[in-house]
Amino acid sequence: MYKTLKVAILVIILIIALVACKGWQKPVESENFLMGTIISQRVYGKNAQKAIDAVNRRILELEELMTVNRSAGDASKINEMSGKSLVPIDQSTLQVLKKAVYFSRLTGGAFDVTVGKIVQLWGISTDNPNVPDKQEILDSLKLVNYEDIIIDEYSCSAGLRYENQSIDLGGIAKGYAGDEAIRLYKEYGITSAYINLGGNVVVLGKKPDGSPWRIGIQNPRSSNGKYIGIVEVADKTVVTSGDYERFFEKDGVRYHHIIDPKTGYPSNSDLISSTIIADVSVDADALSTSTFIMGLEKSIDFVENLEGVEGIFITKDKKVYATSGLRDSFRFSDESGEFEYVEKR
Amino acid sequence: MLKKGDIILLVITALLSISGYVGYSMYMDRIESLSKIAVIRYEDQTIRRINIDTVDKLMEFTVNGIYNNKILVEKGRIRVIESDCPDQVCVRTGWLTKTGELAVCVPNRLMIKIEGENLEIDGVTH
Repeated sequence: MYKTLKVAILVIILIIALVACKGWQKPVESENFLMGTIISQRVYGKNAQKAIDAVNRRILELEELMTVNRSAGDASKINEMSGKSLVPIDQSTLQVLKKAVYFSRLTGGAFDVTVGKIVQLWGISTDNPNVPDKQEILDSLKLVNYEDIIIDEYSCSAGLRYENQSIDLGGIAKGYAGDEAIRLYKEYGITSAYINLGGNVVVLGKKPDGSPWRIGIQNPRSSNGKYIGIVEVADKTVVTSGDYERFFEKDGVRYHHIIDPKTGYPSNSDLISSTIIADVSVDADALSTSTFIMGLEKSIDFVENLEGVEGIFITKDKKVYATSGLRDSFRFSDESGEFEYVEKR
Repeated sequence: MLKKGDIILLVITALLSISGYVGYSMYMDRIESLSKIAVIRYEDQTIRRINIDTVDKLMEFTVNGIYNNKILVEKGRIRVIESDCPDQVCVRTGWLTKTGELAVCVPNRLMIKIEGENLEIDGVTH
């Protein structure tokens, strides 16, 4: 009797080991509405669920700090006290602001988070977007200047130089959140994970079978999920900015959500989509927005000169260009047949 | 200590349970990959699961929230056909037919997903 029990226990242990092993191969998947978008995660490993929960908690924290829709957040406090005083902020907001200023300088102002007032005028990402009065835009343009962001690292505070100036971190916060997700995955011992923050993809390692992650580049003129090509990546981030993501139409004109900080109007370069592949997601987020605004010629040269950064650009006349570092990892694959891949310029 | 008979019994039992388990999980995987299950989630809760392969009549229902998403199901496919949300991204997404495909209405916090792995790509950047 005693021996039969022993045998039974051994068998049970064996089955548990098998089940656990099986579970290790299957990812834990999760989709959550956070940061005004949908965040999908696919995580492998025994701590996958714990890691996903930690990432969701962290993203919620970051959302509360950086959205201008919450008055208690850092971004709102900075805007409210603009021209009056610096306000104490969280370390993460400080990091994001430093990055914002860095990329504003690097892109000569093509990227500029001080467009807050203009974003507000257009009502972008509200229920009632509208075309503002021309004079209103001109007046608000005077408030746009990234050099007016004052950052004091020692007291961990920040502010804006003049009254009524306003920041909007929408073009960079999701990128930072993506980097934080990867940091947390690693902390939980995860070696293989995928996260998509409303179109910003970040991957940790390779897939468990050792193959790279295959990321589709959205067809900018087709429905969601249809792509014009695939890029194979490991330990990278892939971020796209496009005129199709969020837009509204008024009197037959289409207005999209990426504001050119120099004109105050939706960017009108020759690009309809700009994708950046890089190591750091906050960088890719800022760079995809700025290259989209800078246009094809400038962007290709600009990205070719940045180390560890590659780009895929789609023009209004439906031509697809990729930087030289992508020769092996980007495969043009357009089901619609409407796009043309220009391999050599 | 274990006797010879005990060891034989142990090995047989172990083999039986392993083959039983492997067989069962292979069978379940096969069942799963053969039928396409559309999962409809609202506010991070699963509110409906539909095997869209076994739908033989046109099926239509509305998920009411801050906005209202009208969902249409036919054999092998599902979509948001009408919505009063401001961005209309959910409607523009069109039909979902393959495993891993996703339609999302962020304003109404609704999501439709066909369960399973997408065999061509792991994700789409947009």
